[in-house]
Amino acid sequence: MLKRFMNDMKKYWMYAVYSSKAQLKSEIANSYLNWLWWILDPLCFMLIYVFMFGYVFKSSEQYFAVFVFIGITMWDFFNKCLLQSVRVIKNNKSIVSKVYIPKFILLVIKMGVNGFKMFISLLIVVAMLIVWRVPLTLNILYFIPILITLFVVVFGLGCFLLHFGVFVEDLSNVLNIALRLLFYLTGVFWNIMDRLPAPFNSYIGKGNPIAFLLTAMRDCVLYEKTPDLPILLAWFLFGLIVSALGVRMIYKNENSYVKVI
Amino acid sequence: MEEKHAIDVTDLVISYQNLKKTSIKKSLLQFKRRTVDRFVAVKGISFYVRQGEILGIIGKNGSGKSTTLNALAGIFSPDSGTIDLHDHSISLLSIGVGFQREMTGRENIVLSGMLLGFSEEEVRAKEPEIVEFAELGDFIDMPVRTYSSGMYSKLAFSITAILETDIMLIDEVLSVGDQKFKKKSYNKMKSLISSKDRTVVIVSHSIETLKELCDTVMWMHDGQIKMIGEPEPVLTEYVNFMENS
Repeated sequence: MLKRFMNDMKKYWMYAVYSSKAQLKSEIANSYLNWLWWILDPLCFMLIYVFMFGYVFKSSEQYFAVFVFIGITMWDFFNKCLLQSVRVIKNNKSIVSKVYIPKFILLVIKMGVNGFKMFISLLIVVAMLIVWRVPLTLNILYFIPILITLFVVVFGLGCFLLHFGVFVEDLSNVLNIALRLLFYLTGVFWNIMDRLPAPFNSYIGKGNPIAFLLTAMRDCVLYEKTPDLPILLAWFLFGLIVSALGVRMIYKNENSYVKVI
Repeated sequence: MEEKHAIDVTDLVISYQNLKKTSIKKSLLQFKRRTVDRFVAVKGISFYVRQGEILGIIGKNGSGKSTTLNALAGIFSPDSGTIDLHDHSISLLSIGVGFQREMTGRENIVLSGMLLGFSEEEVRAKEPEIVEFAELGDFIDMPVRTYSSGMYSKLAFSITAILETDIMLIDEVLSVGDQKFKKKSYNKMKSLISSKDRTVVIVSHSIETLKELCDTVMWMHDGQIKMIGEPEPVLTEYVNFMENS
């Protein structure tokens, strides 16, 4: 199976890249501000949250704006990819019913589109680090394994949602609710470790992958800390296993999808 | 000379079974077990197509023709039995590979081509020819959602017709666009089909077309092969059968 997966990835990689690019282009083609939206969108949300939680609720996090911005960036990627993966087969019905394509490639395309936006946001983070003069250490290099883990986990979960999204009509409603709950358990604009009572904070902080990755990212970028490596590794392995199971499930069932949608 | 087979199909069974959509709400509210619907569309057929042969499939509606064609294209998986394409590239020439509505015609050409297994460069090389054949003028650089249905099918046809694959599957001989394009596309298709080393499978209801184009005709009835062989006798039988039933 791994061999088939690798072959398919190689064969359809260029297609995925081209398709992601074209989707990004078409998203902005008709708007006035064009690609500026990729920057404006996260920036505006950051301003809202900074205002709400920094001034109205008096949050005391250090570098609060950057803190929130990292949160939004990573959460958005996670959230959008999962929400889109539920409907990805239905939305690509015209392709799926006309030609064979390994179905997870459609997920890869979505991840490419959202990943690119995340990448832009991360560039803004870099700019913010400079403006706020955040002291940096080598710990910052941990952002690489953190992002890789994020990708693997999202891909794995996305595969499952892609599969069940075909058969279960109202999955996206349920997922919406679940993700909203998860949003508040992730600490996009507060530090989950401080705000929740022990021991729950560490259960959630380690047991919720996106909360853990987000906290780890902030630790290594903002607070000169090394993330919890064993747990990072554990989530990486979790992601690999879920991805493998998900891809296997897709391979087994993908040709039946078109009979249902 | 040993004759080469382009497609080998053995004991192909395809069914639509217990794949009904469900929702969490429904399964919570309904306690009785849902009955499993099973509809067998293709019931264990075997046939082969030789390299360069043109096979026509005929049969009444719901006899499993299109299902068979979709299975050959790899869109459906067989429940049992095998389909061996001997590593030929294959494309289903129906109303085109799916288009992304927000993207321009040009981008869709590249995307469709890549889905059919061509590299970006190969598609780019053929792009002018496709654009010219499709006769879309300036619309080629507009998003596909602005196209009329005629333009849509013209582009779709041009892509699959100009990017040639070893095996072509045709669901109903297409007549798309206006009178002029119809004639052009029919001629193009005929020249594609009659090219020596291309293997073609056509599903059609038109006796005339099949008689004119095919080397072999397969008559499907209720998911099984009723008759296969030279076009003349099979088609005569078929016409008799349809008139008397």
